[in-house]
Order: sequence, then C-alpha cells, then structure tokens
Amino acid sequence: MTRLMKTRLLAAASIFASAAMLPASASAVDLEFYFPVAVGGDAAGIIERMTSAYMEENPGVNINAIYTGSYADTTTRAITAARGGNAPQLAILLSVDMFALIDEDIILPWDDFVTEAEQESWIGGFYDSFMANSQTGGQTWGIPFQRSTPVMYYNKEAFAAAGLDPETPPATWDELVEIGQQLTLRDANGNVTQWGVRIPSSGFPSWLFTGLVASNGQDGLANDAGTEVYFDTPEVIGALEYLVSLASEHEIMAPGILDWGATPRAFMDGESAIAWTTTGNLTNIRNNAPFDFGVAMLPANVRRGAPTGGGNFYLFEGSSDEQLQAAVDFVKWATAPEQAASWSIDTGYVAPRADTWETDAMRAYAEEVPGALVARDQLAYAVPELSTFEGPRITQIMNDAIAAAIVGDMTPAEAMAAAQNQADAVLAAYR
Amino acid sequence: MSTLVVTQTRFDRALFVAGAWALALVWILPLAYAIWTAIHPSAYETRFVLLAPLTFENFTRAWNAAPFARYFLNTIMLVSMILAAQLILCIHAAFAFARLEFPGKNILFALVLVQLMVMPDILLVRNYATMAQLGLVDTILAIGLPYFASGFAIFLLRQTFKTIPKELDEAARVEGCSLIGLIWRVYVPLAKPTILAFALVSVSHHWNNFIWPLIITSSVETRPLTVGLSIFSTTDSGIEWSVITAATLITSGPLLIGFLLFQRQFVQSFMRAGIK
Repeated sequence: MTRLMKTRLLAAASIFASAAMLPASASAVDLEFYFPVAVGGDAAGIIERMTSAYMEENPGVNINAIYTGSYADTTTRAITAARGGNAPQLAILLSVDMFALIDEDIILPWDDFVTEAEQESWIGGFYDSFMANSQTGGQTWGIPFQRSTPVMYYNKEAFAAAGLDPETPPATWDELVEIGQQLTLRDANGNVTQWGVRIPSSGFPSWLFTGLVASNGQDGLANDAGTEVYFDTPEVIGALEYLVSLASEHEIMAPGILDWGATPRAFMDGESAIAWTTTGNLTNIRNNAPFDFGVAMLPANVRRGAPTGGGNFYLFEGSSDEQLQAAVDFVKWATAPEQAASWSIDTGYVAPRADTWETDAMRAYAEEVPGALVARDQLAYAVPELSTFEGPRITQIMNDAIAAAIVGDMTPAEAMAAAQNQADAVLAAYR
Repeated sequence: MSTLVVTQTRFDRALFVAGAWALALVWILPLAYAIWTAIHPSAYETRFVLLAPLTFENFTRAWNAAPFARYFLNTIMLVSMILAAQLILCIHAAFAFARLEFPGKNILFALVLVQLMVMPDILLVRNYATMAQLGLVDTILAIGLPYFASGFAIFLLRQTFKTIPKELDEAARVEGCSLIGLIWRVYVPLAKPTILAFALVSVSHHWNNFIWPLIITSSVETRPLTVGLSIFSTTDSGIEWSVITAATLITSGPLLIGFLLFQRQFVQSFMRAGIK
C-alpha cells in the first residue's frame, strides 16, 4: 500500500470513528499524549498543568495527557497501543529508543510538519548535543524535552576537612585519584568511613561510562546510523581500566557494583565525598543535603566529555493530518522559552535550547542554583548516549561487560572484546 | 535407647524451630525496614537510631501524590469482579472436566492446561487489540476480562472435584438434585478449602498486577493502586525511600491486615488444597 493511500485510509477511518463516537465535538481536535515520570516531586501534576494551560489558550484542541509509568513502561505501552491500532499522537520516550521506534515503523519524522523557516528557528534552536540522539538519516525523529546529563557532586565540608580547597573540584582523572585519596578516610581498624568517590555501576552503568569514554577522547559508543558500535577501542578499554582501578588499585571507591538509586543517599549521608549522578538529582540533593555541596563537570583525561540522556517528544503514525499538526503545534508551544524554563526549574531537567536560558525566570534560577549552569556549560563537550538498533540488547551487553570487569571476572580488554563480538552479531542484520 | 530417641526428637525440634525463626526473620526484614523508613524523616533511611523522631508526614505526602482513594475503590472493584467471574466460570468448567463425559473432553482440557504454560506478558499486544476491537479500552472490565477463564483455577478445582467420593454425588442425584444443584450443594461446599486458597492467590495477584492495567487504562476512574504506586519509582532523580515505603504500606496494608486476620483459615486451606 502506498503511503498516500495509507494516510487517506487512516484519515477516512479516523473521521468515521470520530463521527461515530463524538458527533458533538466534531470541531475539536483530540490528542493523546503519553508521558513517563522519572523525577521526584510533582512531575505528573506539572505536565497536567501545562496541557490545561495550553487548552485554555487553544480551545480547539483537547489534550488527554496520560501518565504511563517509567520510561520502559511507556515504551511498552506506546508500542502495544500502536500495534493495536490505537497509537497516541505524542509520547515522551527515551531519546535512545529512536532506532527501536523507527524499526517498529510507528513514528513519523517532524520535518514534514514544520516550514523551512521553522527548521532553522525551531529545530535548529536546540543544543546540537541533544539533537545527536534525535536525528538520523537527515531526518528529525525526536524533539528534546526532559533531557539530562551527568555531573559530579562534591561535599565542600569534606573537602575543607581534608585540607582541600572547596572551590577547586578535581578537573582531571589524575586529580580525581589524588583528591579521592585525600578524601578517603579510615578508622583505627582500617575500615573506610568515607569513600573518595562513587560512580554507580547498577541501573544504567553504560550511561556514566560513556562520560568516561568521552573524556578519554572517543565521541560516544556507536555511529550515527545506529548500526556500528565501538566497544573495543583503546579509548574504551582505557576508560574501563580507569573505572576499575578506582576501587582495585587506588582504593578510593567502594569495591563491587554500586547501586544507582542509593547514590544520592550515600552522598548526602557522607558515605562518599564525591558522587557522579544525573543533573536530575540537583533539586533532591539541594533540598536534603545537610552540608554545603558543589557541582562540577565530569573530570577530563584527554579532554572533557559527558553523555546526554533523558526523553524526547515523538510523533506517532496513525492519526489524521489535522491531529498531527495540532500535536506539533503543542510541542512547539511546550518547548518555547517560557514553558521550557518553568519545566526546567520545576523538574531539574536541563533546558534544551539556548533561548530558554535567556528568559528572566531562567536567569534568576541560574543565579540561585549555579549547579544548573554547570550542566548547561558541559553540553559543549557532550556526546550522544549509546543508541543503536536493538538498543536494549546492545546496552545490556555493554552493561554486563562493565559489570564483569568491575567484579573481576574478566579484564577490561577481555570484557570489551567480548562485548564487541556479541554486539556485532546482533547488529549484523541492520548493516 | 529411648532416651536417645527423646534427645534426638528434641534436637530435631530445636533445629526446626531455629530454622523457622530464621526464615521468619528474613521474611519480615523488608517489611520491618519499610515500617521503620516510613515513620521516620528521610535522613534516617539508612541509619538506625532508636530514638529517631517519628513522623507521619511520609504517609501524607504519599497519599497526596496520587488519587489513592479512587485507586483503592478501583482495585477493590477489579479484584472482586475477577474473583467472582473466575469462580462462576471455573467451578462449572472444572465440574464438567471432572465428572461429565462429552466428546473432545481431553483435547479441551489439554488446551486449558496450555494456558498455564503461556506467559501473560506475551499476550499484551494481542489482548490490547482485542480490547480495542471490543471498544473496552480504558475500562475496569478490560483489565479483568483476559483473566476470567483461569486455566489454573479450572485445573485446581477439577483435581479437587475428582477427589470427592462418587457416593455423595450419586446420593444427591438419587434424591433428585439437578446438575447445578449438585455443583453448588455438594461439590462447592466440599471444595471450600481449595476455593479459599485460590481466592487468596487470585486476589493478591490482581491486587499487585501492574503492566497490563497500566497499558489498557488511561484515566483516574479506571486505574488500580499499582499504577498510583509507580509514580514513586523515580529513577532519574534518586529514590526517596521514606515516601515510597509509606506508599507501599498504604497500598499493601489492606491485604496484609486481611491476611493476618484470616491467617489460620488461609494456612489450613493451603495445607488441604496442596498449593505451596
């Protein structure tokens, strides 16, 4: 069936369906919008206030914002609904799911719904590092919205107690080791009472690891087309060797697998003086840390580097052109400076456009929370998160290999060589 | 000789009791942690201080984070609807498989058993499409419908009905009892322990079911408790254990209390029904 026919048939079907179901509100455009919640606070409430504000300004549009669990649950639901012939118009899903969604053939590129001027002014206005996980094959499949990046939180009081300058966080790998050694405190029996650093290795270890790889000079772990991975390069092996050495050789990080979810708590309880975790934790740590803390970029080896993460808006196939255009208009509104600023301030996500940071609200926020600026400035060095076809499987292969090296089952070089082989076998079908 | 036997049984008994206590402690530990964390401020999540200040704030925050009152109502409606439908359908089906003769009986029963082998998650997409065709998306009925004809219940009840002496069956028939009367007056009362045990398994399973309700429902009026609970699993920003444990206690509380109240009956019926 040609694409045109398909669209026409679908349009006819949806007109028929809406005529049969809702003859009264035939003029209003109904949109369904799935969103996950991955930060604390009232993220669900914030989204609902946002959609109702939009509906007030635009009486012709009716948006049904549906909370759909975690990112993984939301992806499951979106794919299930799309295959069941009941796709939403919009959903916020992980930016790295782009290839999976293209593979499923359920999303549409945004380019067809924006004018050439808007290509420049709207899509061109997002930070390039966020667009890296949102575009492929010359088309834009995702619009950055709830995006994040990892940063380094450090305990200023612990720095002062160790005789270090609280305003000079470690800027290089070597400094991290050196400062970490001074921050690692042991009691009379040799038991550690405070670790120097904590880089969590459960949950999504490949994400933070991409930061180490980037600082070691490699731009991410996969190509832009999502068909090749680069796991066994000297840069990647070197990054893994460094990560393993923090616990085994330098003894400044607790040995074994460190839990992601418990990391903010470990930092706030003084268990680790430095912790790597997402900017999404800024609000939580700011509210709950009993000491003065600082936020810094991830340290550099050959250069600075960090991955981006988080979710994009996706546009789904299977709706009338009128609905799709209304959905695009809503997303344009939601990413406009004023809205994006209040979203970023309320949730802690990094505002994805330069013009957002120029709003008064955002300026005042940056003054109050300088840590937010660190995340923005780090974007200049950001690389895309690991994203390929068969994404979850490839990420799992990487995560398992990192874990194997951390617990000592394999050397970093062996683990990465094995991961490369496994990933090549999976991706061969897409080349 | 006899003293040896006595000391041996005593020793066995001591071991048995120690083992039981050890298992009970391991079992209660997560629950104890949940209670401890829920009634203290978040600073005490990973620190045990006996006289830490108590607070009720975690419960208030958890309760206000989602429309839990409505979710409770939905979950209760959901589990009672599923249980009622399962019992009515499966008791009759199980009786037919246990006591009636009809062509294709064995093949049909084999098909019912096949249902036990299929993971429900595999059917998500198919079930969603079916519900969409029936126009039931976003209804409580749609959450329950795929579970009404439970293969497990049919199998379990059939086995129980088979153990009921034929004499009782025949005596009732001689007295002129109808087939339906026979089921409800003879078989069901004798299978009560099994039915109770199945009811517990069914209710707790559907009370805790998450992914299917999340996918098939969209609105506050239809969503169950587990969907409300999931807004606390905030992986991006670190988990607030104090609030999430409070929410867990709120949502699992009624089940826990119910179990503790009727514990003796449940344990007995499990022993008799042979579900472990």
